[in-house]
Amino acid sequence: METVIKTNNLSKVYTDTAVPVHALRSVSLEFRQGEFTAIVGPSGSGKTTFLNVVGGLDKPTEGHVIIDGVDIATMKESKLFDFRLRHIGFVFQAYNLIPVLTAIENVSFIMLLQNRPKAEMEERAKQMLEQVGLSDKLNVRPAKLSGGQQQRVAVARALASKPDFVLADEPTANLDTESAFNLLDIMAKLNKEENITLIFSTHDQRVIERARRVITLVDGAVDKDETFNREN
Amino acid sequence: MKTLIKISWRNIWRNRTRTLVIIIALVLGLMGAIFSASVRMASEQQQFEDTVENQISHIQIHHPEFIANPEAYYRIPRGKNISNEINARDDVIRAAPRTVLDGMAASANMNEGIRIKGVEPEAEAKTPGLDELIEEGSYFTEESRLPSILIGERLAEKLNAEVGSRLVLTFQDIEGEIVSSSFRVEGLYSVTSRGFEERMAFVRASEINYLIGDAEAVTEIAVLLDDHDKYRDVAGELEKAYPDMKVRHWADLDPTLFYALEVLDQVLILLVAIIIMGVSFGLLNTILMSILERVRELGILMAVGMKKARVFSMIVMESAMVSLIGGAVGLIFSFAMVRILNIYGVHVPGGEGLEDFGYASVIYPQIDTAFYFQSGMVVIIFAILASIYPAWKAIRLQPAEAVRQE
Repeated sequence: METVIKTNNLSKVYTDTAVPVHALRSVSLEFRQGEFTAIVGPSGSGKTTFLNVVGGLDKPTEGHVIIDGVDIATMKESKLFDFRLRHIGFVFQAYNLIPVLTAIENVSFIMLLQNRPKAEMEERAKQMLEQVGLSDKLNVRPAKLSGGQQQRVAVARALASKPDFVLADEPTANLDTESAFNLLDIMAKLNKEENITLIFSTHDQRVIERARRVITLVDGAVDKDETFNREN
Repeated sequence: MKTLIKISWRNIWRNRTRTLVIIIALVLGLMGAIFSASVRMASEQQQFEDTVENQISHIQIHHPEFIANPEAYYRIPRGKNISNEINARDDVIRAAPRTVLDGMAASANMNEGIRIKGVEPEAEAKTPGLDELIEEGSYFTEESRLPSILIGERLAEKLNAEVGSRLVLTFQDIEGEIVSSSFRVEGLYSVTSRGFEERMAFVRASEINYLIGDAEAVTEIAVLLDDHDKYRDVAGELEKAYPDMKVRHWADLDPTLFYALEVLDQVLILLVAIIIMGVSFGLLNTILMSILERVRELGILMAVGMKKARVFSMIVMESAMVSLIGGAVGLIFSFAMVRILNIYGVHVPGGEGLEDFGYASVIYPQIDTAFYFQSGMVVIIFAILASIYPAWKAIRLQPAEAVRQE
């Protein structure tokens, strides 16, 4: 399978703190097309930093992030905005959605920024909301949705534009068990159906068990990298 | 772009109260600014009309020596012909030949120095005319034994005279000899300028000319134009046509008024700008607050790939929309306010004293239509300026940090 992301000796040191913090230490990993990976580890182990650096939201102190043969670690900021828009889908911990837009407008938003044709955009947004089980909430604004529903809209938005891969930083952190499982089921299903590479961070044991690949970070370094043969 | 407008529009209504407060501030600011501007403009306009149309006219022609020595000796040769020639021009409402002299008016118990204006009643009556200023009595219609004189209400008060009173005028004839003659007060006129009303007395030119000994005498030709703005051109043409005479337009005759009117537009728009600038700081504060409340949201927008330029435009657009609403509503209200006040008038407290300076005590506010447009532009420009700093703050956010904020 094709390699989607490759990190090379990735290090990140925060120097604006009293004592320099080594958030990442020489992380070298590869992610292949269609993988469903959980990045786990205790708080402060570098999960979020890793996702931010891979997602081009943060620059590594050292090392490379190769996506599509391009090193985004050295990319200029203005280009990076465009790169993120075209290649990467994001799901954040909470408050992901634009509060003034309805569910379908939120799902269309990325495609809109990409200047996709309107008809295609609408059809795809509807299809995605249907896939996450929210076809009855098309014109509802986020404030009227539950936390779990909001995260499902966020997942639909991230996948709607068919990015190379989707990064989700603790997507279930604010959800109850049922909603968390539900979201994970949807993510796993879409991972399979759309063959989209999915990487999410979590410290939620319930969620970890759903991943086919589990990478454990400890103090910013890769501690374990395990692959499981699961059917989800 | 359409989505950006949609998001901006919905964003401004997220905090309805805050947005409404800013809109109301803009509306009141605009109304206040336009109110003061319209009062200023009306009072200057009124002064212009009063001074130029009722007193000095657009252009005056004299014998060059007459300006320093207003005596009957310095007459305009062929004065009546010149006056007729000018009257024949299309752009002239009237050219009135006058015999102007300094003299003395005496009533039974008072003496006052006056300027006697010998006029042709029909020539002066063309709109806007002297006849319209008569408050009491009549305008050169009476045929009585004594020649008629029209004086200002204030002069009448000083001389203790009224309609029907007899006044004795003393002045020099064309040879410099002192002449006295009796006149009967036929009418009292009123203008806002105290100086004018206390000094100027109107008699028939034929009668004063008879008394000074030259039936054809003309010492002043007062020209009133169709179009205010043409005074310089016409004055220039008249200067060429009558090179031996002194041709002066109103701006020469009353430079203070000219200057006041010249800078008026700039002064008024500055007034609007200052008021709106004050309101804009409120706007700036509001936008800044709305940015701080949305750090995370803006971070997510930028994280998913919304370019900084778009985020910047979104915030500027929010401000522009608020100002557009506030500006439009403010202009509509201001327009209505000026219209209504123009009908009922604004009474200026202590206005009696103002009349000494030629200002009316009741003002009917008015303003050029262009001024509304300019004020609207000022509102939008300041609103956009006020949004630049907050918008800049917003795009300085680092997406990675912004999305981490709770």
